[in-house]
Amino acid sequence: MIRYDRFTKAYGAHTAVDGLSVDIPAGSVVALLGPNGSGKTTSIKAAAGLVRPTSGDVRLGAERRPATEAEARRLCSFLPQRVSFPDALTGREVVEFYRRMRGVPGDATDRVMKFASLNGAGNRAVGTYSGGMTQRLGLAVAMLPDAEILLLDEPTAALDPDGLCAFYGLVEARRRSGRTVFFSSHQLGDVERLADLIVILIEGRLAATLTSSELAAKLADRGVMRVRMGQRVTALLERVREIAPGARWIGDDLMVPGPTAVRLGALDAIRAAGGAIEGLSAEEGRLDEFYRSIVGGAR
Amino acid sequence: MMGLIWLCARHELLLAARSRWLQWFAVIFAGLALLVAGSGYVLSGGYGLQDFARTAVSLVQLVLLIVPLAALVFGSLTLSPDRGAAELLYAQPVPRWAILAGRVIGLFLALAAAELLGFGVAGLAVQYYSGPSGASQFLAVVALSLALTAVFLAIAAALASGEPGRRARALAMSLVVWFVAVILFDLAALGVASMLRSGAASRVLMTAALVNPVDAGRTGAYMAIEGTSAFGAASLALLRFAGGERAVAALVTASLLLWTIVPAWVAARRLGRTDL
Repeated sequence: MIRYDRFTKAYGAHTAVDGLSVDIPAGSVVALLGPNGSGKTTSIKAAAGLVRPTSGDVRLGAERRPATEAEARRLCSFLPQRVSFPDALTGREVVEFYRRMRGVPGDATDRVMKFASLNGAGNRAVGTYSGGMTQRLGLAVAMLPDAEILLLDEPTAALDPDGLCAFYGLVEARRRSGRTVFFSSHQLGDVERLADLIVILIEGRLAATLTSSELAAKLADRGVMRVRMGQRVTALLERVREIAPGARWIGDDLMVPGPTAVRLGALDAIRAAGGAIEGLSAEEGRLDEFYRSIVGGAR
Repeated sequence: MMGLIWLCARHELLLAARSRWLQWFAVIFAGLALLVAGSGYVLSGGYGLQDFARTAVSLVQLVLLIVPLAALVFGSLTLSPDRGAAELLYAQPVPRWAILAGRVIGLFLALAAAELLGFGVAGLAVQYYSGPSGASQFLAVVALSLALTAVFLAIAAALASGEPGRRARALAMSLVVWFVAVILFDLAALGVASMLRSGAASRVLMTAALVNPVDAGRTGAYMAIEGTSAFGAASLALLRFAGGERAVAALVTASLLLWTIVPAWVAARRLGRTDL
């Protein structure tokens, strides 16, 4: 696990992270969300031992060792936001160097090169790689050790669809083996798809933490049901609005926003009023809208 | 831990060997060494190459000028943390000082190999034309070159071990250090000494010969090549203070060792406290 205990990091007069206290549970996939400059990278780097807290601390594992200890970093594997490698080395040489540094058995090189779809380019100089290939090489390095904690700072930013598939596969594999994955992202689709827990930082402060089921409930609360009526039924809207105050007509369709229970109640009200339902569709709330409401509210 | 330091050293050596900077340095150094070996006779109207002893004396100035510059420039460019690369490297479960030590050792080996190539080319040519006489003096210059490489790489590491993305600043500071150590320091020391009475001037010059690693190296090299007959004012003051050649050799060695160890310690400490 990762424990942030009143973690604060200031760079001169600017406070990047202010009193962050949150536990990243062992065996979970946790997404860190927030606008640019909200302290995501600083928080992840602190867990990787690259940033020293101004106050508070960040501890890793069951023994809760300070992240700045070299031995604590044995628990982690980290992929930085804009990873880069020496241009003169080949991809395979890069992986081999980090494999030896982590004391990982020799067959891991082929495994991670294949996983990151870099087998064909392994003997080419990194200087010839595209941004996506460099990112995939970074992922390959990050997955070399079977570390308890995988720390990924915006891992999908430069990935093509193949790279994304590799990334999803990596996270799922780690989840299955009970490892912790802590990643930051602006790709809300990735967050919704992968995360068991979402941590939202705004202007260096913790704005919200949500489990995946809490998120699903929040999104369901923001859902909309569209009921195709064929024709408008007089007084139906008033009956429905007693249950779902936000209901409205759009053409001959009745739009009913609200939580699932409210929408079901609205359906019962429509039937009780003798409305003939010709069609029905429902849409859950969108994460981006929910996220924007949290960010807007916190600011 | 030693295995990890050696791993980083080999990695850095491989990178350096593929660097155009180092390849050019090796070629230029070899060319200059050959030129210096031949220039004495050519300038005096003859042809061929000087013997080892004369070549060694001529090479001292080349080494004092070029080697600190190469170590400072190459060191500051290479050891400045690169955003993205440094973050990944220093997030590994290895103490930062160990990674830095490995990188500095690798760079030292790379620069030393380039210098030895230059000395080797010049040495083979001198051996062919003039025979082995004076080879030990020539080796003293090689030792001076390696010592100055270690000193100025350590200084470069201390200058470069700051926050990522400050390579240009580290390079600029390295050039300032080179200018002060190689050119300005002696002029300043002589200027100050000329304004003082004999005893105080002597102490200033003696201190200058030890405090500046370039001067310490020069003193040590001349003493190894020609004894004390080639000493200038500062080295003579040091000789009088120390009371003999052995003591001078010990002081010079201590100065060069301190100039390697202290900046290396500063570099490790700075890097350990830097947010990457």
